[in-house]
Amino acid sequence: MTTVPTTTSLAWARRRNAVARFWQRYRSHRAGLYGLAGLALIAALALAAPLVVGDDVQSVTDAPGGALESPSGRFPLGTDQFGRSLLGLLVWGARVSLAVGLLAAALSVAIGTLVGIVAGHYGGWFSTVLMRVTDWFLVMPALVLAIVLATVLSRSMWTVILAIGITSWPTTARLVRAQTIAVESRPYIERARALGGGHGHVMTRHVLPNVMPLVLAQTTLGISTAILTEATLAFLGLGDPTVVSWGGMLQDAREAGAVSAGHWWYLAPPGIAIALVALAFTLCGRAIESVLNPKLGVGR
Amino acid sequence: MVIKVTPRPPRTRPLIRLFLASGVAASALVAVPAQAAHAQPATDDSKDGKGGKKVLTIAVSQSIDSLSPFLAQRLTSTTVHRLAYEYLTNYGPKDGRPIPGFATAWAPSPDKLTWTYTIRTDSTWSDGTQATAEDAAWTFNKMMTDPNAATANGSFTANFKKVTAPDPRTLVIELKKPQATMTALDVPIVPKHVWEKVGDFSKFNNDQSFPIVGNGPFVVTDFKVDQYLKLTPNKKFWRGAPKFDELVLKYYKDNDAAVAALRKGEVSFVPNLTPAQAASLKNAENIKVNDAPGRRFFALATNPGARSKDGKTFGSGHRALLDPAVRKALFLSVDRRTIVDKVFQGHAVEGEGYIPPRFGSYFWKPAPTQKLTHDPAKAAQILDQAGYKKDGTGRRTGKDGKQLDFRILCHATDPNDKAVGKYLQEWWGKLGIGLKVDCLDNVSDPWAKGDYDLAFDGWSVNPDPDYVLSIHTCGALPATPKDTGATDNFICDRQFDELYARQSVEYDAAKRADLVKRMQSRLYDTGYMNVMVYPNAVEAYRTDQISSITTMPEDGGNLWGQDGYWSWWSAVPAGEGGTGAGGGSSSSAGVVVGIGAAVVAAVAAGLFLMLRRRSTADDRE
Repeated sequence: MTTVPTTTSLAWARRRNAVARFWQRYRSHRAGLYGLAGLALIAALALAAPLVVGDDVQSVTDAPGGALESPSGRFPLGTDQFGRSLLGLLVWGARVSLAVGLLAAALSVAIGTLVGIVAGHYGGWFSTVLMRVTDWFLVMPALVLAIVLATVLSRSMWTVILAIGITSWPTTARLVRAQTIAVESRPYIERARALGGGHGHVMTRHVLPNVMPLVLAQTTLGISTAILTEATLAFLGLGDPTVVSWGGMLQDAREAGAVSAGHWWYLAPPGIAIALVALAFTLCGRAIESVLNPKLGVGR
Repeated sequence: MVIKVTPRPPRTRPLIRLFLASGVAASALVAVPAQAAHAQPATDDSKDGKGGKKVLTIAVSQSIDSLSPFLAQRLTSTTVHRLAYEYLTNYGPKDGRPIPGFATAWAPSPDKLTWTYTIRTDSTWSDGTQATAEDAAWTFNKMMTDPNAATANGSFTANFKKVTAPDPRTLVIELKKPQATMTALDVPIVPKHVWEKVGDFSKFNNDQSFPIVGNGPFVVTDFKVDQYLKLTPNKKFWRGAPKFDELVLKYYKDNDAAVAALRKGEVSFVPNLTPAQAASLKNAENIKVNDAPGRRFFALATNPGARSKDGKTFGSGHRALLDPAVRKALFLSVDRRTIVDKVFQGHAVEGEGYIPPRFGSYFWKPAPTQKLTHDPAKAAQILDQAGYKKDGTGRRTGKDGKQLDFRILCHATDPNDKAVGKYLQEWWGKLGIGLKVDCLDNVSDPWAKGDYDLAFDGWSVNPDPDYVLSIHTCGALPATPKDTGATDNFICDRQFDELYARQSVEYDAAKRADLVKRMQSRLYDTGYMNVMVYPNAVEAYRTDQISSITTMPEDGGNLWGQDGYWSWWSAVPAGEGGTGAGGGSSSSAGVVVGIGAAVVAAVAAGLFLMLRRRSTADDRE
């Protein structure tokens, strides 16, 4: 031990420790581990989709099978109305569903964090105005608002991401604001101010790192909601019809009349996939939540 | 990290929020999937045999725009008017030729400008008043003098000079110039003594007082927007009263729900089936699937440069589409056979001319030398020759050096548009042309503004082709860019217009048919439109509720949306033994319920997780 530890390396060591401690405690949540394993598997499948099922799985002109075939050795989940393999589409659809879920949750949490920290930090009438706006978004039925947005804007994946992101941030904003107020009442913030720390410094260097774990948990939980909302919007026919997603597959199945024809193999797999991914994210999120907030305990 | 928690009062707020959230989310999320499961009738009188009343229930999805014959344009509304009112002439169920309706005989004067109709004496309004020529004269005069009354059918009376009823049995119509559609005037005749009290015809929707006075085979007795429309037979109808005791148009916004209701016997008839639904219903007990040649064509339309009568051009149509070579290349790379086989799964006929083959006398096919058969290689060659070369990325560039990218306007509610859109994307992609499928709920606005490159287009064709031809004449263009014209696709072609003018004054059926065929040939050659397929009418009815019904044409025709009242007027209820109709639900109905339950369960699970998160969120605050 000849080198003198610098401030940075100390900070890094502390962070490494924190991560290790976090992981150790996360490991004790069995459900969280299952969720993580499931997520890793689905994410790997989605990333490897071009290798596993090939780029041409979406092609209608080169579709290999007949329309609406039942499951067989060649098509384990049967085919859709264009003769495309449903298993291939299911794997391919994971890409869109995951991408939309992640991006929309990230957008929503970003907006929520920004609004929450700013409102919590400045306080006063500014906070009141911001919080009333937040309340307005909170009482608006998110799905209705998302449908309106998706209808008004042109149909694309980005519209759906935007619609979900814009409608689901208020919860995060409220949480982050409360946490910001709690953090800012601590003595060390007062010390930082006394030492000349401005608004920006306090918000980014002291408050943000302290609300980050909360934000992380919120994101993980938000993803499952976002995926469900994406599926709902696509199912209602508001997604991009040229993109294969799980919700879109359900919508295609409905339009093809698969429900009344009893083609359960068209409807069930995307539905189950949506449920599983949402469940996996929720399990992870809850595990993170209880690691970060011991008050929640293990019983819940 | 430690979170400081201020003690909170008992959690009342989260409970309220939880309740609200679950209510809103549950109703919003569950509404659609659950429809299939709880498609129970509000009133349980739709099963036949109940109280001895024979009810024929038809599942419909299209909303009624208006019950006023002067405003109604949608198929559901005009079908209701066919049932509730008489028209001067009707179309025979056998071959669609004009047959007596409200008029028993008609004849033009030698100069072709005066038509005299003999009105029947055995037709009475449902309130007991005798229906006379005076009612018909009043109806036409109203349409000629009040622009608000000419909204729906004004095209028929635009050329009328004078309409009189010299006596209750005679109607005389004087024309400005000859008019070929005089035996195909699709104008419901309304009772003068009821309608002359109406003030503003643009606002009166005829849906306030029931029963609605009419003289057709049925009388409209009740109507709730997007719920149901009820009709009872007109016992005094001159052709004979309908056999069913009641006819109900019942709304199912989800076609799968309608099919499930058909399986359970809650409805007697469902139109517009998808191929998968038709295939599964074919094996069902007591259900007959009727797959008949349709009245519609399904076409690709290109924006020929939107313009108005005052010579102004507007809209944002792609300039490259003004080049006939580009349009030809696009159409050449459309494989119509594949669309019939894959998208319609055989429930359609490959497109050729403009008018569907069902209307035999007007049906026209392109000559082999004229026909644009599927030939992607030739399409690529045409584009190469016309100077649209491929760039380094394999995409073709236009004259302005930009890559060729088109938009196509698609009806978000029509699965066929979306499906064909997918094929077009790939076919034109191989050609080096990009395509963006713009699916909208309301395509009329961008369409009327000319803000489209290509569009999916389709019309139901009447036995008399005048109307579907008129929408491609220069006369149908909007007056100014701000107006809306009757034009379908802004086509304005001098040759086509000349032929249109000639056919509209031609009383000789054979000569007129020949002119109509030449018009179609011209329309084909202008290359602004390409008919891809003629979709079949695929519909199903319960044979244990309807024992016989007349299709139109009688030999292998359709039932819903006929040019006449034949199907519902002629429908004969099944014998008394048909009371046990409810028991016929098959295993797939169980699957439907199962799937519905699974969806509801998944939604509930998601909701539960969401709410759990929210409740803990409140703890953390």
